[in-house]
Amino acid sequence: MSYQITSAILGISLALIILLLIRRDRLHSRHAIWWLFVAVFVMILGIFPKIIDYIALKLGVNYPPTLLFSLGMAMILLKVLSIDLHQSQLERKTRRLAQRLALLEGDKQQHDD
Amino acid sequence: MNTANSIVILIPAKNEEDSIAQVLGDLKARFPYPIVVINDASTDNTVAIAQQAGARVLTLSISLGAWGAIQTGLRYALREGFEIAITMDADGQHEADSLPALLAPIMTRKADVTIGAFTQRGSFARHVAWSLFRKLSGLNLEDLTSGLRAYTSPAIRLLASPAATLLDYQDMGVLMLLQRAQLRIQEVPISMRPRLLGKSRIFSSWWAVSNYMLYTAILCLAHGTHYFRKHKCPIKSPQPF
Repeated sequence: MSYQITSAILGISLALIILLLIRRDRLHSRHAIWWLFVAVFVMILGIFPKIIDYIALKLGVNYPPTLLFSLGMAMILLKVLSIDLHQSQLERKTRRLAQRLALLEGDKQQHDD
Repeated sequence: MNTANSIVILIPAKNEEDSIAQVLGDLKARFPYPIVVINDASTDNTVAIAQQAGARVLTLSISLGAWGAIQTGLRYALREGFEIAITMDADGQHEADSLPALLAPIMTRKADVTIGAFTQRGSFARHVAWSLFRKLSGLNLEDLTSGLRAYTSPAIRLLASPAATLLDYQDMGVLMLLQRAQLRIQEVPISMRPRLLGKSRIFSSWWAVSNYMLYTAILCLAHGTHYFRKHKCPIKSPQPF
Protein backbone atom coordinates (compact mmCIF):
# COMPACT_ATOMS: atom_id res chain seq x y z
CA MET A 1 0.00 0.00 0.00
CA SER A 2 2.85 2.34 0.82
CA TYR A 3 4.09 2.78 -2.78
CA GLN A 4 0.65 3.96 -3.76
CA ILE A 5 0.81 6.68 -1.09
CA THR A 6 4.22 7.79 -2.36
CA SER A 7 3.07 7.98 -5.97
CA ALA A 8 -0.16 9.72 -4.94
CA ILE A 9 1.79 12.36 -3.00
CA LEU A 10 4.17 12.92 -5.94
CA GLY A 11 1.34 13.06 -8.47
CA ILE A 12 -0.85 15.39 -6.44
CA SER A 13 1.97 17.77 -5.53
CA LEU A 14 3.13 18.04 -9.15
CA ALA A 15 -0.47 18.71 -10.20
CA LEU A 16 -0.80 21.34 -7.45
CA ILE A 17 2.37 23.12 -8.55
CA ILE A 18 1.09 23.24 -12.14
CA LEU A 19 -2.33 24.47 -11.05
CA LEU A 20 -0.71 27.11 -8.85
CA LEU A 21 1.41 28.36 -11.77
CA ILE A 22 -1.68 28.55 -13.99
CA ARG A 23 -3.59 30.38 -11.24
CA ARG A 24 -0.79 32.89 -10.92
CA ASP A 25 -0.90 33.56 -14.65
CA ARG A 26 2.68 32.39 -15.20
CA LEU A 27 1.72 30.24 -18.18
CA HIS A 28 0.23 31.56 -21.38
CA SER A 29 -3.18 29.93 -21.88
CA ARG A 30 -2.07 27.86 -24.88
CA HIS A 31 0.63 26.27 -22.73
CA ALA A 32 -1.64 26.11 -19.71
CA ILE A 33 -4.03 23.73 -21.51
CA TRP A 34 -1.22 21.24 -22.13
CA TRP A 35 -0.01 21.49 -18.53
CA LEU A 36 -3.53 21.20 -17.13
CA PHE A 37 -3.84 17.96 -19.05
CA VAL A 38 -0.48 16.81 -17.65
CA ALA A 39 -1.58 17.72 -14.11
CA VAL A 40 -4.77 15.66 -14.35
CA PHE A 41 -2.90 12.75 -15.94
CA VAL A 42 -0.17 12.75 -13.30
CA MET A 43 -2.68 12.97 -10.48
CA ILE A 44 -4.79 10.07 -11.73
CA LEU A 45 -1.74 7.88 -12.34
CA GLY A 46 -0.29 8.87 -8.96
CA ILE A 47 -3.41 7.85 -7.07
CA PHE A 48 -4.14 4.76 -9.16
CA PRO A 49 -0.77 3.47 -10.40
CA LYS A 50 -2.42 0.13 -11.18
CA ILE A 51 -3.92 1.71 -14.29
CA ILE A 52 -0.52 1.39 -16.00
CA ASP A 53 -0.33 -2.31 -15.17
CA TYR A 54 -3.81 -2.82 -16.55
CA ILE A 55 -3.14 -0.98 -19.81
CA ALA A 56 0.25 -2.71 -20.21
CA LEU A 57 -1.42 -6.09 -19.84
CA LYS A 58 -4.01 -5.19 -22.47
CA LEU A 59 -1.30 -3.98 -24.87
CA GLY A 60 0.82 -7.06 -24.29
CA VAL A 61 3.69 -5.18 -22.63
CA ASN A 62 5.49 -7.57 -20.26
CA TYR A 63 7.07 -5.01 -17.99
CA PRO A 64 4.56 -2.19 -17.30
CA PRO A 65 7.09 0.53 -16.30
CA THR A 66 8.58 0.46 -19.83
CA LEU A 67 5.17 1.46 -21.14
CA LEU A 68 5.13 4.41 -18.75
CA PHE A 69 8.65 5.46 -19.72
CA SER A 70 8.19 5.16 -23.47
CA LEU A 71 4.87 7.01 -23.40
CA GLY A 72 6.40 9.71 -21.19
CA MET A 73 9.41 10.02 -23.47
CA ALA A 74 7.18 10.26 -26.55
CA MET A 75 5.15 13.05 -24.94
CA ILE A 76 8.32 14.96 -24.00
CA LEU A 77 9.69 14.64 -27.55
CA LEU A 78 6.45 15.94 -29.03
CA LYS A 79 6.42 18.82 -26.58
CA VAL A 80 10.03 19.80 -27.34
CA LEU A 81 9.35 19.63 -31.06
CA SER A 82 6.35 21.91 -30.69
CA ILE A 83 8.47 24.33 -28.65
CA ASP A 84 11.04 24.53 -31.46
CA LEU A 85 8.32 25.06 -34.06
CA HIS A 86 6.88 27.85 -31.99
CA GLN A 87 10.34 29.27 -31.39
CA SER A 88 11.03 29.43 -35.15
CA GLN A 89 7.72 31.20 -35.66
CA LEU A 90 8.67 33.74 -33.01
CA GLU A 91 12.11 34.22 -34.59
CA ARG A 92 10.49 35.01 -37.93
CA LYS A 93 8.13 37.49 -36.29
CA THR A 94 10.89 39.16 -34.27
CA ARG A 95 13.06 39.62 -37.35
CA ARG A 96 10.26 41.13 -39.38
CA LEU A 97 9.32 43.42 -36.53
CA ALA A 98 12.91 44.65 -36.21
CA GLN A 99 13.03 45.26 -39.97
CA ARG A 100 9.77 47.14 -39.92
CA LEU A 101 10.94 49.22 -37.00
CA ALA A 102 14.10 50.11 -38.92
CA LEU A 103 11.98 51.26 -41.89
CA LEU A 104 9.67 53.33 -39.68
CA GLU A 105 12.54 54.91 -37.78
CA GLY A 106 14.17 55.71 -41.10
CA ASP A 107 10.97 57.48 -42.20
CA LYS A 108 10.82 59.44 -39.00
CA GLN A 109 14.40 60.57 -39.36
CA GLN A 110 13.80 61.59 -42.96
CA HIS A 111 10.80 63.55 -41.75
CA ASP A 112 12.76 65.28 -38.98
CA ASP A 113 15.61 66.34 -41.26
CA MET B 1 13.06 51.26 -67.79
CA ASN B 2 13.78 54.60 -66.23
CA THR B 3 17.14 53.74 -64.75
CA ALA B 4 18.11 56.57 -62.43
CA ASN B 5 14.90 56.50 -60.38
CA SER B 6 14.29 52.80 -60.38
CA ILE B 7 17.63 51.56 -59.04
CA VAL B 8 18.66 51.50 -55.41
CA ILE B 9 21.94 50.33 -53.91
CA LEU B 10 21.67 48.40 -50.65
CA ILE B 11 24.69 48.04 -48.39
CA PRO B 12 24.44 46.04 -45.17
CA ALA B 13 27.00 47.25 -42.65
CA LYS B 14 28.00 46.13 -39.21
CA ASN B 15 30.88 48.04 -37.66
CA GLU B 16 32.41 49.08 -40.98
CA GLU B 17 33.60 52.58 -40.07
CA ASP B 18 37.02 51.92 -41.61
CA SER B 19 35.81 51.10 -45.09
CA ILE B 20 32.30 52.49 -45.58
CA ALA B 21 33.33 56.04 -46.46
CA GLN B 22 35.47 54.87 -49.36
CA VAL B 23 32.81 52.45 -50.60
CA LEU B 24 30.13 55.15 -50.58
CA GLY B 25 32.50 57.75 -52.04
CA ASP B 26 33.35 55.50 -55.01
CA LEU B 27 29.66 54.86 -55.68
CA LYS B 28 28.59 58.49 -55.34
CA ALA B 29 31.35 59.58 -57.69
CA ARG B 30 30.15 57.26 -60.46
CA PHE B 31 26.39 56.74 -60.09
CA PRO B 32 23.31 58.85 -59.36
CA TYR B 33 21.48 55.95 -57.69
CA PRO B 34 20.24 56.40 -54.12
CA ILE B 35 22.20 54.41 -51.57
CA VAL B 36 20.70 52.81 -48.50
CA VAL B 37 23.02 51.58 -45.77
CA ILE B 38 21.37 49.09 -43.46
CA ASN B 39 23.11 49.39 -40.15
CA ASP B 40 23.03 46.00 -38.48
CA ALA B 41 23.23 47.27 -34.90
CA SER B 42 26.73 48.70 -35.27
CA THR B 43 28.48 49.89 -32.15
CA ASP B 44 30.98 52.16 -33.91
CA ASN B 45 30.75 55.28 -36.03
CA THR B 46 29.32 53.61 -39.15
CA VAL B 47 26.00 55.48 -39.06
CA ALA B 48 27.45 58.99 -38.84
CA ILE B 49 30.02 58.30 -41.56
CA ALA B 50 27.42 56.82 -43.89
CA GLN B 51 25.02 59.71 -43.38
CA GLN B 52 27.81 62.19 -43.98
CA ALA B 53 28.64 60.41 -47.22
CA GLY B 54 25.06 61.00 -48.36
CA ALA B 55 23.52 57.59 -47.81
CA ARG B 56 20.12 56.91 -46.32
CA VAL B 57 20.66 54.85 -43.16
CA LEU B 58 18.20 52.30 -41.80
CA THR B 59 19.17 51.13 -38.35
CA LEU B 60 18.22 47.71 -37.01
CA SER B 61 17.74 47.83 -33.26
CA ILE B 62 18.84 44.22 -32.89
CA SER B 63 21.48 42.56 -35.04
CA LEU B 64 19.83 40.31 -37.63
CA GLY B 65 22.98 39.27 -39.49
CA ALA B 66 23.93 40.07 -43.07
CA TRP B 67 20.83 38.61 -44.68
CA GLY B 68 18.43 40.14 -42.16
CA ALA B 69 19.96 43.51 -42.99
CA ILE B 70 19.74 42.96 -46.75
CA GLN B 71 16.12 41.87 -46.43
CA THR B 72 15.40 45.09 -44.58
CA GLY B 73 16.80 46.92 -47.61
CA LEU B 74 14.75 44.78 -50.00
CA ARG B 75 11.59 45.54 -48.03
CA TYR B 76 12.49 49.20 -48.32
CA ALA B 77 13.04 48.82 -52.07
CA LEU B 78 9.69 47.06 -52.43
CA ARG B 79 7.85 49.69 -50.44
CA GLU B 80 9.45 52.55 -52.35
CA GLY B 81 8.74 50.88 -55.66
CA PHE B 82 12.32 50.47 -56.90
CA GLU B 83 12.54 48.11 -59.84
CA ILE B 84 16.13 47.04 -59.32
CA ALA B 85 18.05 46.56 -56.09
CA ILE B 86 21.79 46.13 -56.05
CA THR B 87 23.41 44.63 -52.96
CA MET B 88 27.05 45.23 -52.12
CA ASP B 89 29.35 44.50 -49.21
CA ALA B 90 30.49 47.40 -47.04
CA ASP B 91 34.02 46.09 -46.61
CA GLY B 92 35.31 47.37 -49.94
CA GLN B 93 35.55 43.99 -51.64
CA HIS B 94 33.25 44.97 -54.45
CA GLU B 95 34.25 47.64 -56.91
CA ALA B 96 31.87 50.34 -58.09
CA ASP B 97 33.24 49.68 -61.57
CA SER B 98 31.52 46.29 -61.59
CA LEU B 99 27.99 47.72 -61.53
CA PRO B 100 27.53 48.39 -65.27
CA ALA B 101 28.48 44.81 -66.08
CA LEU B 102 26.18 43.57 -63.31
CA LEU B 103 23.26 45.58 -64.66
CA ALA B 104 23.78 44.77 -68.34
CA PRO B 105 21.86 41.44 -68.48
CA ILE B 106 19.04 43.02 -66.47
CA MET B 107 18.72 46.03 -68.76
CA THR B 108 18.42 43.73 -71.76
CA ARG B 109 15.90 41.62 -69.78
CA LYS B 110 18.00 38.52 -70.13
CA ALA B 111 18.03 37.86 -66.39
CA ASP B 112 15.94 38.48 -63.28
CA VAL B 113 18.91 38.26 -60.95
CA THR B 114 22.59 38.82 -61.65
CA ILE B 115 25.51 37.82 -59.48
CA GLY B 116 28.95 39.36 -59.59
CA ALA B 117 31.03 36.20 -59.64
CA PHE B 118 34.66 36.00 -58.73
CA THR B 119 35.61 32.37 -58.66
CA GLN B 120 39.38 32.61 -58.40
CA ARG B 121 39.14 33.37 -54.73
CA GLY B 122 38.92 30.74 -52.05
CA SER B 123 41.07 27.84 -51.03
CA PHE B 124 41.00 24.36 -52.51
CA ALA B 125 38.89 23.18 -49.56
CA ARG B 126 36.36 25.89 -50.19
CA HIS B 127 36.03 24.86 -53.83
CA VAL B 128 35.48 21.25 -52.81
CA ALA B 129 32.76 22.39 -50.40
CA TRP B 130 31.12 24.49 -53.07
CA SER B 131 31.02 21.74 -55.65
CA LEU B 132 29.43 19.48 -53.04
CA PHE B 133 26.78 22.08 -52.29
CA ARG B 134 26.20 22.60 -56.01
CA LYS B 135 25.39 18.88 -56.29
CA LEU B 136 23.17 18.92 -53.21
CA SER B 137 21.21 21.97 -54.20
CA GLY B 138 20.98 21.51 -57.94
CA LEU B 139 22.23 25.06 -58.46
CA ASN B 140 24.33 25.51 -61.53
CA LEU B 141 26.32 28.55 -60.48
CA GLU B 142 30.00 29.18 -59.93
CA ASP B 143 30.02 31.73 -57.12
CA LEU B 144 27.47 30.76 -54.51
CA THR B 145 28.41 33.27 -51.84
CA SER B 146 28.99 36.52 -53.69
CA GLY B 147 27.28 39.47 -52.02
CA LEU B 148 27.37 41.61 -55.14
CA ARG B 149 24.02 41.02 -56.76
CA ALA B 150 21.26 42.81 -58.63
CA TYR B 151 17.63 41.84 -58.15
CA THR B 152 14.63 42.83 -60.28
CA SER B 153 11.06 43.34 -58.99
CA PRO B 154 9.89 39.72 -58.95
CA ALA B 155 13.02 38.71 -57.05
CA ILE B 156 12.70 41.65 -54.67
CA ARG B 157 9.09 40.71 -53.97
CA LEU B 158 9.98 37.08 -53.28
CA LEU B 159 12.98 37.86 -51.11
CA ALA B 160 11.18 40.54 -49.08
CA SER B 161 8.50 38.02 -48.14
CA PRO B 162 8.32 36.12 -44.82
CA ALA B 163 9.37 32.96 -46.68
CA ALA B 164 12.91 34.36 -46.85
CA THR B 165 13.04 35.75 -43.33
CA LEU B 166 14.50 32.73 -41.56
CA LEU B 167 17.56 32.60 -43.81
CA ASP B 168 20.84 33.72 -42.28
CA TYR B 169 23.13 34.43 -45.22
CA GLN B 170 22.68 35.88 -48.66
CA ASP B 171 23.92 32.77 -50.37
CA MET B 172 22.50 29.38 -51.19
CA GLY B 173 19.21 29.63 -49.33
CA VAL B 174 18.42 32.78 -51.28
CA LEU B 175 19.54 31.27 -54.57
CA MET B 176 17.45 28.16 -54.02
CA LEU B 177 14.36 30.25 -53.32
CA LEU B 178 14.96 32.17 -56.52
CA GLN B 179 15.52 29.01 -58.52
CA ARG B 180 12.36 27.39 -57.18
CA ALA B 181 10.43 30.46 -58.27
CA GLN B 182 11.96 29.88 -61.71
CA LEU B 183 13.65 33.24 -61.86
CA ARG B 184 16.55 33.53 -64.28
CA ILE B 185 19.86 33.88 -62.48
CA GLN B 186 22.92 34.94 -64.44
CA GLU B 187 26.50 35.27 -63.31
CA VAL B 188 28.69 38.09 -64.47
CA PRO B 189 32.44 37.69 -64.07
CA ILE B 190 33.94 40.53 -62.07
CA SER B 191 37.16 41.25 -60.24
CA MET B 192 37.27 41.75 -56.52
CA ARG B 193 39.63 43.62 -54.28
CA PRO B 194 40.88 41.98 -51.14
CA ARG B 195 38.81 43.20 -48.24
CA LEU B 196 40.07 46.58 -47.11
CA LEU B 197 40.10 45.47 -43.53
CA GLY B 198 38.77 42.63 -41.49
CA LYS B 199 38.02 39.19 -42.77
CA SER B 200 35.18 36.93 -43.75
CA ARG B 201 32.73 36.42 -40.93
CA ILE B 202 31.70 33.03 -42.24
CA PHE B 203 35.20 31.64 -42.67
CA SER B 204 36.63 33.00 -39.45
CA SER B 205 37.34 29.76 -37.61
CA TRP B 206 37.01 26.03 -38.05
CA TRP B 207 34.08 25.98 -35.67
CA ALA B 208 32.32 28.69 -37.67
CA VAL B 209 33.08 26.86 -40.91
CA SER B 210 31.61 23.57 -39.72
CA ASN B 211 28.56 25.38 -38.40
CA TYR B 212 28.12 27.06 -41.75
CA MET B 213 28.59 23.82 -43.68
CA LEU B 214 25.99 22.02 -41.60
CA TYR B 215 23.58 24.94 -41.91
CA THR B 216 23.99 24.98 -45.68
CA ALA B 217 23.58 21.22 -45.99
CA ILE B 218 20.29 21.45 -44.10
CA LEU B 219 19.18 24.33 -46.32
CA CYS B 220 19.87 22.19 -49.36
CA LEU B 221 17.68 19.47 -47.90
CA ALA B 222 14.90 21.94 -47.20
CA HIS B 223 14.98 24.03 -50.35
CA GLY B 224 17.07 22.21 -52.95
CA THR B 225 15.45 21.38 -56.23
CA HIS B 226 17.81 18.63 -57.22
CA TYR B 227 15.91 15.71 -55.73
CA PHE B 228 12.49 17.29 -55.59
CA ARG B 229 12.09 18.92 -58.94
CA LYS B 230 8.35 18.46 -58.95
CA HIS B 231 7.79 20.88 -56.11
CA LYS B 232 7.54 24.36 -57.42
CA CYS B 233 7.17 27.46 -55.37
CA PRO B 234 5.21 30.08 -57.26
CA ILE B 235 5.72 33.69 -56.35
CA LYS B 236 2.85 34.53 -54.08
CA SER B 237 1.44 37.99 -53.97
CA PRO B 238 3.35 39.82 -51.30
CA GLN B 239 2.11 40.73 -47.86
CA PRO B 240 5.20 42.57 -46.82
CA PHE B 241 3.79 44.79 -44.13
